[in-house]
Amino acid sequence: MSRASGYFISLILVISSLTVDVLAQDTIQFPLKFRLGFEVTGAAKYFYEKERVNLEGNFSIDLNEKVSAILVAGRSDYSYSRYRDTSFLMYDYSTKGYYFRAGFDFNLLKPKKSQGKYAVSIGFRYGMSHFDYELPTITHENYWGKSLTSVPTTNEWAHFIEVNPSVRAEVWKNISVGWTVSLRKMIDPGTGRHLKPVYLPGYGNGSKSFSPGVSYFIIWSIPFKNKRLIIQPEPEEEEDQTGTGQNGENMNQGGFRQ
Amino acid sequence: MRRTLQVFAAILIPGLSLLISSCLELSCIDETEAFVKAGFYSYSTKSAAIPDSITLYGLNKDSIIYKKVKLTPPALLPLNDSSSVSVFVIKINGIKDTIEFRYWSYPHLISKECGYSMFHTVDTIFHTKHAIDSISRVNENITTENVESIRIFY
Repeated sequence: MSRASGYFISLILVISSLTVDVLAQDTIQFPLKFRLGFEVTGAAKYFYEKERVNLEGNFSIDLNEKVSAILVAGRSDYSYSRYRDTSFLMYDYSTKGYYFRAGFDFNLLKPKKSQGKYAVSIGFRYGMSHFDYELPTITHENYWGKSLTSVPTTNEWAHFIEVNPSVRAEVWKNISVGWTVSLRKMIDPGTGRHLKPVYLPGYGNGSKSFSPGVSYFIIWSIPFKNKRLIIQPEPEEEEDQTGTGQNGENMNQGGFRQ
Repeated sequence: MRRTLQVFAAILIPGLSLLISSCLELSCIDETEAFVKAGFYSYSTKSAAIPDSITLYGLNKDSIIYKKVKLTPPALLPLNDSSSVSVFVIKINGIKDTIEFRYWSYPHLISKECGYSMFHTVDTIFHTKHAIDSISRVNENITTENVESIRIFY
Protein backbone atom coordinates (compact mmCIF):
# COMPACT_ATOMS: atom_id res chain seq x y z
CA MET A 1 0.00 0.00 0.00
CA SER A 2 2.75 2.36 0.99
CA ARG A 3 4.60 1.50 -2.31
CA ALA A 4 1.41 2.24 -4.33
CA SER A 5 0.92 5.55 -2.62
CA GLY A 6 4.55 6.36 -3.30
CA TYR A 7 4.01 5.72 -7.07
CA PHE A 8 0.87 7.85 -6.97
CA ILE A 9 2.64 10.77 -5.32
CA SER A 10 5.51 10.48 -7.82
CA LEU A 11 3.01 10.50 -10.70
CA ILE A 12 1.32 13.62 -9.36
CA LEU A 13 4.70 15.31 -9.01
CA VAL A 14 5.67 14.41 -12.61
CA ILE A 15 2.33 15.62 -14.00
CA SER A 16 2.52 18.81 -11.98
CA SER A 17 6.04 19.50 -13.22
CA LEU A 18 4.89 18.95 -16.84
CA THR A 19 1.98 21.30 -16.23
CA VAL A 20 4.38 23.93 -14.98
CA ASP A 21 6.44 23.50 -18.19
CA VAL A 22 3.40 23.83 -20.43
CA LEU A 23 2.26 26.91 -18.58
CA ALA A 24 5.74 28.37 -18.96
CA GLN A 25 5.53 28.09 -22.76
CA ASP A 26 4.08 30.69 -25.07
CA THR A 27 2.62 30.23 -28.53
CA ILE A 28 2.67 32.59 -31.49
CA GLN A 29 1.21 32.44 -34.95
CA PHE A 30 4.16 32.86 -37.31
CA PRO A 31 3.20 33.91 -40.87
CA LEU A 32 5.10 32.05 -43.58
CA LYS A 33 5.36 34.18 -46.73
CA PHE A 34 6.19 34.36 -50.40
CA ARG A 35 8.28 37.39 -51.22
CA LEU A 36 8.85 39.23 -54.45
CA GLY A 37 11.75 41.65 -54.38
CA PHE A 38 13.01 44.25 -56.82
CA GLU A 39 16.57 45.49 -56.71
CA VAL A 40 16.51 49.29 -56.92
CA THR A 41 20.16 50.37 -56.96
CA GLY A 42 20.69 48.99 -60.47
CA ALA A 43 17.90 51.20 -61.76
CA ALA A 44 19.07 54.17 -59.66
CA LYS A 45 22.66 53.87 -60.87
CA TYR A 46 21.53 54.10 -64.49
CA PHE A 47 20.88 57.81 -63.98
CA TYR A 48 24.56 58.54 -63.45
CA GLU A 49 26.22 55.46 -64.97
CA LYS A 50 24.68 55.07 -68.42
CA GLU A 51 27.05 52.33 -69.54
CA ARG A 52 25.53 49.91 -67.04
CA VAL A 53 21.94 48.67 -67.03
CA ASN A 54 21.04 46.15 -64.37
CA LEU A 55 17.59 44.81 -63.55
CA GLU A 56 17.21 42.22 -60.84
CA GLY A 57 14.34 40.59 -59.02
CA ASN A 58 14.00 37.76 -56.58
CA PHE A 59 11.42 35.30 -55.36
CA SER A 60 11.68 33.70 -51.97
CA ILE A 61 9.51 31.40 -49.93
CA ASP A 62 9.66 30.64 -46.22
CA LEU A 63 10.29 26.95 -45.66
CA ASN A 64 9.88 27.48 -41.93
CA GLU A 65 10.31 30.32 -39.44
CA LYS A 66 14.11 30.30 -39.91
CA VAL A 67 14.87 29.20 -43.45
CA SER A 68 13.71 30.52 -46.79
CA ALA A 69 14.59 29.41 -50.29
CA ILE A 70 15.43 32.14 -52.77
CA LEU A 71 15.74 32.43 -56.53
CA VAL A 72 17.28 35.56 -58.04
CA ALA A 73 17.14 36.46 -61.73
CA GLY A 74 18.60 39.47 -63.45
CA ARG A 75 19.58 41.05 -66.72
CA SER A 76 22.67 43.15 -67.20
CA ASP A 77 24.05 45.22 -70.08
CA TYR A 78 27.44 46.80 -69.65
CA SER A 79 29.91 48.60 -71.83
CA TYR A 80 33.24 50.05 -70.85
CA SER A 81 36.04 51.90 -72.60
CA ARG A 82 39.43 52.30 -70.99
CA TYR A 83 41.75 55.09 -72.14
CA ARG A 84 45.43 55.51 -71.30
CA ASP A 85 45.07 59.16 -72.22
CA THR A 86 42.54 61.06 -74.28
CA SER A 87 44.00 59.87 -77.59
CA PHE A 88 44.86 56.28 -76.74
CA LEU A 89 42.00 53.81 -76.37
CA MET A 90 43.33 50.77 -74.54
CA TYR A 91 40.21 48.65 -75.05
CA ASP A 92 36.46 48.58 -75.55
CA TYR A 93 34.46 45.93 -73.75
CA SER A 94 30.76 45.21 -73.92
CA THR A 95 28.65 42.44 -72.47
CA LYS A 96 25.02 41.57 -71.99
CA GLY A 97 23.43 38.59 -70.40
CA TYR A 98 21.18 36.97 -67.85
CA TYR A 99 22.09 35.62 -64.48
CA PHE A 100 20.47 33.37 -61.93
CA ARG A 101 21.23 32.62 -58.32
CA ALA A 102 19.58 30.04 -56.11
CA GLY A 103 20.09 29.28 -52.45
CA PHE A 104 18.86 29.64 -48.92
CA ASP A 105 18.61 32.41 -46.33
CA PHE A 106 18.85 31.64 -42.63
CA ASN A 107 17.20 34.20 -40.36
CA LEU A 108 19.29 34.72 -37.26
CA LEU A 109 16.47 36.44 -35.35
CA LYS A 110 14.28 34.42 -33.02
CA PRO A 111 10.76 33.92 -34.37
CA LYS A 112 9.21 35.98 -31.58
CA LYS A 113 11.33 38.94 -32.63
CA SER A 114 11.22 38.44 -36.39
CA GLN A 115 7.42 37.89 -36.50
CA GLY A 116 7.81 37.23 -40.21
CA LYS A 117 8.51 40.96 -40.64
CA TYR A 118 12.14 41.35 -39.74
CA ALA A 119 15.21 39.44 -40.72
CA VAL A 120 18.92 39.55 -40.05
CA SER A 121 20.06 36.75 -42.28
CA ILE A 122 23.00 34.92 -43.68
CA GLY A 123 22.46 33.42 -47.12
CA PHE A 124 24.28 31.06 -49.44
CA ARG A 125 23.75 31.00 -53.19
CA TYR A 126 25.03 29.31 -56.34
CA GLY A 127 25.13 31.65 -59.30
CA MET A 128 25.24 31.18 -63.05
CA SER A 129 25.67 33.84 -65.70
CA HIS A 130 24.86 33.31 -69.37
CA PHE A 131 26.36 36.16 -71.33
CA ASP A 132 27.68 37.49 -74.63
CA TYR A 133 30.81 39.61 -74.63
CA GLU A 134 32.95 41.25 -77.26
CA LEU A 135 36.07 43.37 -77.47
CA PRO A 136 35.76 45.48 -80.63
CA THR A 137 39.10 47.17 -79.97
CA ILE A 138 42.22 46.18 -78.09
CA THR A 139 45.15 48.50 -78.67
CA HIS A 140 48.64 47.55 -77.61
CA GLU A 141 51.81 49.52 -78.06
CA ASN A 142 55.40 48.48 -77.59
CA TYR A 143 58.81 48.86 -79.24
CA TRP A 144 57.48 47.77 -82.65
CA GLY A 145 54.63 50.28 -82.62
CA LYS A 146 50.91 50.17 -82.13
CA SER A 147 48.88 47.03 -82.83
CA LEU A 148 45.14 46.56 -83.00
CA THR A 149 43.21 43.40 -82.37
CA SER A 150 39.66 42.44 -81.43
CA VAL A 151 37.63 39.59 -79.99
CA PRO A 152 34.35 38.80 -81.76
CA THR A 153 31.07 38.27 -79.91
CA THR A 154 31.35 35.13 -77.84
CA ASN A 155 28.70 33.36 -75.79
CA GLU A 156 29.67 31.80 -72.46
CA TRP A 157 28.42 30.43 -69.13
CA ALA A 158 30.09 31.44 -65.87
CA HIS A 159 29.63 29.94 -62.42
CA PHE A 160 30.15 31.45 -58.99
CA ILE A 161 29.09 31.14 -55.35
CA GLU A 162 27.97 33.79 -52.90
CA VAL A 163 27.67 34.42 -49.18
CA ASN A 164 25.00 37.00 -48.40
CA PRO A 165 24.61 38.78 -45.06
CA SER A 166 21.36 40.75 -45.24
CA VAL A 167 18.86 42.83 -43.29
CA ARG A 168 15.16 43.22 -44.03
CA ALA A 169 12.44 45.14 -42.22
CA GLU A 170 8.74 45.64 -42.89
CA VAL A 171 8.00 49.34 -43.25
CA TRP A 172 4.35 49.15 -44.32
CA LYS A 173 1.91 46.27 -44.26
CA ASN A 174 3.48 43.51 -46.40
CA ILE A 175 6.02 45.96 -47.87
CA SER A 176 9.59 45.57 -46.71
CA VAL A 177 12.93 47.11 -47.55
CA GLY A 178 16.25 45.45 -47.15
CA TRP A 179 19.80 45.21 -48.30
CA THR A 180 22.07 42.34 -49.10
CA VAL A 181 25.84 42.26 -49.12
CA SER A 182 27.13 39.86 -51.75
CA LEU A 183 30.53 38.26 -51.26
CA ARG A 184 31.11 36.39 -54.51
CA LYS A 185 33.77 33.82 -55.35
CA MET A 186 34.38 32.85 -58.95
CA ILE A 187 34.30 29.18 -59.82
CA ASP A 188 34.64 29.43 -63.62
CA PRO A 189 34.42 32.60 -65.75
CA GLY A 190 33.75 30.46 -68.83
CA THR A 191 36.19 32.44 -70.93
CA GLY A 192 39.45 30.71 -70.15
CA ARG A 193 42.24 32.33 -68.20
CA HIS A 194 43.37 34.82 -70.85
CA LEU A 195 40.12 36.64 -71.60
CA LYS A 196 38.50 36.83 -68.19
CA PRO A 197 35.47 39.14 -68.42
CA VAL A 198 36.04 42.75 -67.39
CA TYR A 199 32.43 42.68 -66.23
CA LEU A 200 30.38 39.56 -65.70
CA PRO A 201 26.58 39.92 -65.41
CA GLY A 202 25.52 39.04 -61.87
CA TYR A 203 29.10 38.88 -60.61
CA GLY A 204 30.92 42.15 -61.28
CA ASN A 205 34.59 42.38 -62.17
CA GLY A 206 35.28 38.96 -63.68
CA SER A 207 39.04 39.48 -63.70
CA LYS A 208 38.98 39.10 -59.91
CA SER A 209 38.40 35.82 -58.14
CA PHE A 210 36.49 37.69 -55.41
CA SER A 211 33.84 40.33 -56.04
CA PRO A 212 31.88 42.15 -53.32
CA GLY A 213 28.67 44.10 -53.85
CA VAL A 214 25.65 45.60 -52.12
CA SER A 215 22.06 45.36 -53.34
CA TYR A 216 19.05 47.20 -52.01
CA PHE A 217 15.59 45.70 -52.32
CA ILE A 218 11.95 46.67 -52.05
CA ILE A 219 9.97 43.55 -51.21
CA TRP A 220 6.31 42.63 -51.41
CA SER A 221 5.38 39.87 -48.98
CA ILE A 222 2.41 37.57 -49.38
CA PRO A 223 1.48 35.44 -46.33
CA PHE A 224 0.38 31.96 -47.36
CA LYS A 225 0.25 30.04 -44.10
CA ASN A 226 0.33 30.63 -40.37
CA LYS A 227 2.53 28.32 -38.41
CA ARG A 228 1.84 27.85 -34.72
CA LEU A 229 5.07 28.01 -32.79
CA ILE A 230 5.64 27.13 -29.18
CA ILE A 231 8.09 29.56 -27.74
CA GLN A 232 10.20 28.58 -24.80
CA PRO A 233 10.49 31.51 -22.41
CA GLU A 234 13.84 33.17 -22.44
CA PRO A 235 16.01 33.07 -19.35
CA GLU A 236 15.44 36.25 -17.41
CA GLU A 237 18.50 38.40 -16.98
CA GLU A 238 19.94 38.37 -13.51
CA GLU A 239 18.72 41.34 -11.61
CA ASP A 240 20.86 43.42 -9.40
CA GLN A 241 20.70 41.75 -6.00
CA THR A 242 21.38 44.95 -4.14
CA GLY A 243 18.30 45.90 -2.11
CA THR A 244 16.07 43.34 -3.74
CA GLY A 245 15.77 41.22 -0.65
CA GLN A 246 14.37 37.74 -1.44
CA ASN A 247 13.80 38.26 -5.23
CA GLY A 248 16.39 35.66 -6.07
CA GLU A 249 14.35 33.01 -4.32
CA ASN A 250 11.50 33.39 -6.82
CA MET A 251 13.59 31.89 -9.58
CA ASN A 252 14.13 28.21 -10.09
CA GLN A 253 17.55 26.77 -10.68
CA GLY A 254 17.37 27.21 -14.46
CA GLY A 255 16.59 30.87 -14.11
CA PHE A 256 13.02 30.49 -15.44
CA ARG A 257 10.15 32.40 -13.95
CA GLN A 258 7.79 29.85 -12.41
CA MET B 1 14.49 46.57 -32.18
CA ARG B 2 11.82 47.24 -34.78
CA ARG B 3 12.77 50.87 -35.17
CA THR B 4 16.48 50.05 -35.29
CA LEU B 5 16.01 47.51 -38.07
CA GLN B 6 13.80 49.84 -40.08
CA VAL B 7 16.32 52.65 -39.90
CA PHE B 8 19.20 50.28 -40.62
CA ALA B 9 17.48 48.73 -43.61
CA ALA B 10 15.89 51.86 -45.03
CA ILE B 11 18.36 54.65 -44.58
CA LEU B 12 21.91 53.72 -43.68
CA ILE B 13 22.76 51.10 -46.24
CA PRO B 14 21.37 52.73 -49.40
CA GLY B 15 23.68 55.67 -48.76
CA LEU B 16 26.57 53.34 -48.09
CA SER B 17 25.95 51.30 -51.22
CA LEU B 18 25.86 54.40 -53.40
CA LEU B 19 29.10 55.51 -51.79
CA ILE B 20 30.73 52.15 -52.51
CA SER B 21 29.45 52.10 -56.09
CA SER B 22 30.91 55.50 -56.78
CA CYS B 23 34.32 54.74 -55.27
CA LEU B 24 37.37 55.73 -57.27
CA GLU B 25 38.84 53.48 -59.92
CA LEU B 26 42.24 52.08 -59.13
CA SER B 27 45.24 52.83 -61.29
CA CYS B 28 47.29 50.16 -63.02
CA ILE B 29 50.18 48.83 -60.94
CA ASP B 30 50.75 45.48 -62.66
CA GLU B 31 53.38 44.59 -65.28
CA THR B 32 51.71 44.85 -68.69
CA GLU B 33 54.48 44.00 -71.17
CA ALA B 34 55.33 40.45 -72.18
CA PHE B 35 59.00 40.10 -73.14
CA VAL B 36 61.21 37.27 -74.27
CA LYS B 37 63.58 37.12 -71.30
CA ALA B 38 67.04 36.05 -72.36
CA GLY B 39 69.83 34.87 -70.12
CA PHE B 40 73.47 34.70 -71.27
CA TYR B 41 75.66 31.65 -70.72
CA SER B 42 79.16 30.53 -71.58
CA TYR B 43 79.00 27.72 -74.16
CA SER B 44 82.17 26.19 -72.71
CA THR B 45 81.22 26.15 -69.01
CA LYS B 46 77.41 26.21 -69.47
CA SER B 47 77.24 28.65 -66.55
CA ALA B 48 75.81 32.16 -66.52
CA ALA B 49 78.16 34.68 -68.13
CA ILE B 50 77.27 38.34 -68.48
CA PRO B 51 78.75 39.88 -71.67
CA ASP B 52 80.81 43.05 -71.29
CA SER B 53 78.77 44.78 -73.97
CA ILE B 54 75.33 44.15 -75.45
CA THR B 55 73.69 46.06 -78.27
CA LEU B 56 70.16 45.03 -79.30
CA TYR B 57 67.66 46.39 -81.79
CA GLY B 58 64.92 45.22 -84.11
CA LEU B 59 65.81 44.55 -87.73
CA ASN B 60 65.00 47.63 -89.84
CA LYS B 61 64.18 49.65 -86.71
CA ASP B 62 65.85 52.96 -85.98
CA SER B 63 65.48 52.89 -82.23
CA ILE B 64 67.80 50.77 -80.11
CA ILE B 65 66.73 48.65 -77.15
CA TYR B 66 70.20 48.28 -75.56
CA LYS B 67 73.26 50.18 -76.72
CA LYS B 68 76.66 48.89 -75.62
CA VAL B 69 75.50 48.16 -72.10
CA LYS B 70 76.64 45.64 -69.55
CA LEU B 71 73.18 44.61 -68.51
CA THR B 72 71.92 42.63 -65.61
CA PRO B 73 70.14 39.63 -67.12
CA PRO B 74 67.66 38.93 -68.36
CA ALA B 75 67.70 40.95 -71.57
CA LEU B 76 64.12 41.89 -72.48
CA LEU B 77 63.16 41.35 -76.15
CA PRO B 78 59.70 42.67 -77.12
CA LEU B 79 57.95 40.72 -79.89
CA ASN B 80 55.98 42.44 -82.64
CA ASP B 81 52.24 41.98 -81.89
CA SER B 82 51.27 42.73 -85.49
CA SER B 83 53.42 40.00 -86.96
CA SER B 84 54.21 36.36 -86.37
CA VAL B 85 57.92 36.98 -86.94
CA SER B 86 60.30 39.29 -85.09
CA VAL B 87 63.99 39.62 -86.00
CA PHE B 88 66.53 41.18 -83.66
CA VAL B 89 70.10 42.23 -84.29
CA ILE B 90 72.30 41.52 -81.29
CA LYS B 91 75.95 42.46 -80.78
CA ILE B 92 77.62 40.48 -78.04
CA ASN B 93 80.98 42.06 -77.17
CA GLY B 94 80.90 43.80 -80.56
CA ILE B 95 80.15 40.69 -82.66
CA LYS B 96 76.90 40.89 -84.58
CA ASP B 97 74.26 38.13 -84.83
CA THR B 98 70.59 37.99 -85.70
CA ILE B 99 67.88 36.11 -83.84
CA GLU B 100 64.55 35.37 -85.46
CA PHE B 101 61.47 34.38 -83.46
CA ARG B 102 58.41 32.75 -85.03
CA TYR B 103 55.39 32.73 -82.78
CA TRP B 104 51.68 33.38 -82.42
CA SER B 105 50.10 36.07 -80.24
CA TYR B 106 46.92 36.36 -78.22
CA PRO B 107 45.42 39.00 -75.91
CA HIS B 108 45.48 38.46 -72.16
CA LEU B 109 43.55 40.56 -69.64
CA ILE B 110 45.92 41.89 -66.99
CA SER B 111 43.19 43.71 -65.07
CA LYS B 112 40.32 46.09 -65.71
CA GLU B 113 42.62 49.00 -64.91
CA CYS B 114 45.67 47.82 -66.88
CA GLY B 115 43.78 46.45 -69.84
CA TYR B 116 45.10 43.76 -72.16
CA SER B 117 48.62 42.67 -72.92
CA MET B 118 49.66 40.52 -75.87
CA PHE B 119 51.09 37.18 -74.84
CA HIS B 120 52.96 34.92 -77.26
CA THR B 121 53.79 31.29 -77.78
CA VAL B 122 57.14 30.81 -79.48
CA ASP B 123 57.18 28.18 -82.18
CA THR B 124 60.69 28.39 -83.67
CA ILE B 125 63.91 30.31 -83.07
CA PHE B 126 66.57 30.84 -85.77
CA HIS B 127 69.90 32.58 -85.27
CA THR B 128 73.25 33.20 -86.90
CA LYS B 129 76.40 31.79 -85.33
CA HIS B 130 79.05 34.49 -85.19
CA ALA B 131 79.23 35.09 -81.45
CA ILE B 132 76.28 32.87 -80.54
CA ASP B 133 76.92 29.15 -80.28
CA SER B 134 73.36 28.05 -79.59
CA ILE B 135 70.05 29.14 -78.11
CA SER B 136 67.97 26.89 -75.89
CA ARG B 137 64.30 27.51 -75.26
CA VAL B 138 63.43 27.36 -71.56
CA ASN B 139 59.82 28.50 -71.73
CA GLU B 140 57.82 28.84 -74.94
CA ASN B 141 55.10 30.94 -73.28
CA ILE B 142 55.99 34.62 -73.34
CA THR B 143 54.02 36.33 -70.58
CA THR B 144 54.48 39.03 -67.96
CA GLU B 145 55.83 36.48 -65.50
CA ASN B 146 59.43 36.93 -64.51
CA VAL B 147 60.58 33.62 -65.99
CA GLU B 148 63.59 33.06 -68.25
CA SER B 149 62.41 32.27 -71.79
CA ILE B 150 65.67 31.49 -73.66
CA ARG B 151 69.31 30.87 -72.88
CA ILE B 152 71.89 32.32 -75.26
CA PHE B 153 75.17 30.39 -75.21
CA TYR B 154 78.11 32.38 -76.61
